[in-house]
Amino acid sequence: MKRPAPYALALALACALIPAAVVGPSPAATTKGPAAGKTVKIGVIADVTGSAAVYGVQQKDAYDLANDDLKSGLLDAGGANLSFDVEDSASDGSQVANLFQKFTTDGSALILGPTLSGEARKGDPIAVLAKTAVVGTSTTADGITALGPCVYRVSLSEAQVVPATVARTKAVWKYKTAAIIYGDDNAFTKTDGDIFKTQLAKAGVTIVDTETFHVGDKDFAASLTKIKAAKPDVIVLGALAEEAEKIIQQAATLGIKTHMMGGNGLNSTKIYDYAGPAAVGVVVGAAWSINGNYTGNASFVQRFKKKYGVEPDQFGAQAYAAAQLSAQLVKDGKASKDEMCAALHDLRVAQTVLGPIAFDPSRDVKAAPVILQIVKGGFAYFH
Amino acid sequence: MVAQQLVNGLFLGAVYALFAIGYTLVFGVLDILNLAHAAIFMLAAFATWSLIGAGVPLALAAPIAIGGAGLLGIVLDRIAFAPLRRRGAPNLIPLISSIGMAIIFGAIARGIYGPDERQFTLGFLQAPPLHAGPLTFTIVQLVILANAIVFMLGLAWVMRSTALGRAIRAVAEDRIAAALLGIDLERTIAATFFIASALGGLAGILTALQYNSVQVDMGAQIELKGLAVIVLGGMGSITGAVIGGFVIGMVETLAVVFGLSEWRDAISYGVMFLILILRPTGLFGKRTLRTA
Amino acid sequence: MTVLADFYAAHSKLIDQVGLDALLALSLSISLQAGQLALAQAAFMGVAAYISAILSLNAHWSLLPTMLVAALCSTIVAGLLALPVRRLRGIFLAIATIAFGEIVRIVANNLQISGGAEGLSGIPPDATTPWIYGTLAIVAIGLWLFSRTKFALAIALVREDENAARGVGVDVGLVRFTTLAMGGAIAGLAGALYAHSNFFITPADFGFGRMEQILVWCVIGGITSPLGAAAGAALLTILPEAIRFLADYRDFVNGAILLVVVLFAPRGLAGIRFGRRG
Repeated sequence: MKRPAPYALALALACALIPAAVVGPSPAATTKGPAAGKTVKIGVIADVTGSAAVYGVQQKDAYDLANDDLKSGLLDAGGANLSFDVEDSASDGSQVANLFQKFTTDGSALILGPTLSGEARKGDPIAVLAKTAVVGTSTTADGITALGPCVYRVSLSEAQVVPATVARTKAVWKYKTAAIIYGDDNAFTKTDGDIFKTQLAKAGVTIVDTETFHVGDKDFAASLTKIKAAKPDVIVLGALAEEAEKIIQQAATLGIKTHMMGGNGLNSTKIYDYAGPAAVGVVVGAAWSINGNYTGNASFVQRFKKKYGVEPDQFGAQAYAAAQLSAQLVKDGKASKDEMCAALHDLRVAQTVLGPIAFDPSRDVKAAPVILQIVKGGFAYFH
Repeated sequence: MVAQQLVNGLFLGAVYALFAIGYTLVFGVLDILNLAHAAIFMLAAFATWSLIGAGVPLALAAPIAIGGAGLLGIVLDRIAFAPLRRRGAPNLIPLISSIGMAIIFGAIARGIYGPDERQFTLGFLQAPPLHAGPLTFTIVQLVILANAIVFMLGLAWVMRSTALGRAIRAVAEDRIAAALLGIDLERTIAATFFIASALGGLAGILTALQYNSVQVDMGAQIELKGLAVIVLGGMGSITGAVIGGFVIGMVETLAVVFGLSEWRDAISYGVMFLILILRPTGLFGKRTLRTA
Repeated sequence: MTVLADFYAAHSKLIDQVGLDALLALSLSISLQAGQLALAQAAFMGVAAYISAILSLNAHWSLLPTMLVAALCSTIVAGLLALPVRRLRGIFLAIATIAFGEIVRIVANNLQISGGAEGLSGIPPDATTPWIYGTLAIVAIGLWLFSRTKFALAIALVREDENAARGVGVDVGLVRFTTLAMGGAIAGLAGALYAHSNFFITPADFGFGRMEQILVWCVIGGITSPLGAAAGAALLTILPEAIRFLADYRDFVNGAILLVVVLFAPRGLAGIRFGRRG
């Protein structure tokens, strides 16, 4: 074999360098991993339209941002051609099932999502049968990861967040009685309410009133009037942001000055935007803080805000974290669905905007909840 | 606490009543259940929000949006109902047609505004609550109640004392006889839709102000509640819609008071079902239009 | 042959959904043929789905017995509903049955045994495509044979002119009761199959939204034509997937199609295909 001419060698070297130059100056230059050059598609199922769209849109935005970051090198996939294929399940169980089927038969290496726990119960089994790994980013009900040996999630469940929330607030506020108000027709809010009930009982707190509402309710005057009459030391909300903000504001209107707390659902700046001063002081057991000092979090928040004009909420952050996790796996050379499942199993730690995450033996995320308190214009850590 | 709960029920009922009037008016005159009514309810609220966002004061934005809602009602009729009337289609078809229009309106709203909830940044919405003895309520709630009463009385006057009102009542009673009497059917029907949709729009704006929340899905709940109201009140009866609205508002509040909040909606639907079985004409209805 | 196999592997869920939706459309179409706007199919489906799921999960029954028991229960529920609403017509009947459906949904939401809002999970996926289409075929053949009986004639008569029907000796009450019960039975079979095809059921699956969907399929396909109803169901089930590329415009297109068919093809798809039937 003839030795390549010197200028050919120089040309080859130049060609190798040009892509790096074109990618441009970036804080995290892409490396060349074992999967370099391979095309890896990851399917994302999110409710971009329909009743769960308020969460799904944040998730889509996060993955679109991640796609941008992959192109610009901010997210390092080790030279592989990684992209997130976001599809809208329209808050419709049938479409969730169809999308799971699509992603398990079109060569996708991994499935991220779906948005709601109920959808996960419908769709994850399809992935399990097809031996495709699923990583949930917003499914927080019990039993999701038990659906199959390759079902993981990066979202802290209520079961993980609530005990810490109760313990911390009880230590500071020292309450003896509580009233709970929760949504009884939504799997998340109902689980939230049930877990709070159990944890409060365990902590020796007497529940003096329990009220329920339905998703979409706007008028809580009747329930709050009853709660006020029961004079609890603390009011617990098992709610998502839209109902929580109104409960908090209407409580203030009725002259209720009691301490309030809630779970993941309250981790949204919308609550202060809506209820203003009434929201100050509400404690939120969360999985992410917008002010968190985690790897790339501040820059993520900044870029998200620049691209979309709104701040990311916990849904957006958890979705982006899944994107970071995926990029890390691909960088380590995992490009097919078989490799993904094993890789998730063997993962030691991933640095994400949620902080460092790992998985426990039941495939739930191992991370510490953050106990936040709503302050003027945002959140602070609660002490 | 009981007094406060009664007040709560009163304010809740006022909005139900306003919404239901539009529903019952169209049914009384045309035997159509207009399932796009809730979409107009929502669009009027968004229109007001957009106008206020563009700097128009509320006192001007609201009337514009209400008028716009009325016009939209006429458009709705022209597109979705009038062609079916000409053809003599059975009543099921306009119902489906209205579902189609509701979906379209919703899609348009979602396209423009997205799924997120919007708020108003109006001063008086943030004002501290008022107290009267043991009762607490807000300025907004008073405004709503006042508006509701004024418009209901206004409608009653129109129905009783104007030629238009008489024409509407005549068409509701017997369309053919009314035509024979020289009443312009299509114009009367258009006027009916204008009034009904304007009131629906007003209900939407007031609801949006009351809870400081404008959202694409905001009509979904009230649509089904509205059905319960008009069944209770008597389909086609405006008095019935008003009284039914307050009764349902009260029933829902009392359900909470008695610890039955999980069954709150089931109670409203149960009432609806029982009325239909035992007295389908409801409290005040014949299948013609009756006024206050 | 592998092309078909690949197609099936990639779309079996959708294919199953089409079959189930066709069954549901058939179940409503029977009531509509009698001129009864009885909109409780979603509730019948839900009752059957829950009973079938509970029997599988708690008592480990296999699919067929759960289908039979569930369909029997939904038929009984339909029959029980038929009695109080026997004097209602038109929109009044529609509203009463919608109210009934909502009450059933709320009951399912509040009971322990149905899992409440959290629903029932882990239902064995025994309702494979052969089961669904086998049931659909049996129901379709049964309905076709039924359409050749005198009773079917009575049903059509009741729809056209109830008083005239009564005049010639038709037992209108029996006709309405039977059609409602039949609808309940078929919706029940669909419900049991649905539960065993979706792994997970929740009360929201059987509410007003689902009922509206079924009604729309029947109207699009042709109110008086079971074949049309099934075709309408098939078309509208496939549509969201087929127009997925339209992304955010899908809803708008859905509504527009509905409107166009209603305004320009009043007898639905069946009307377009077969023209005016006498």
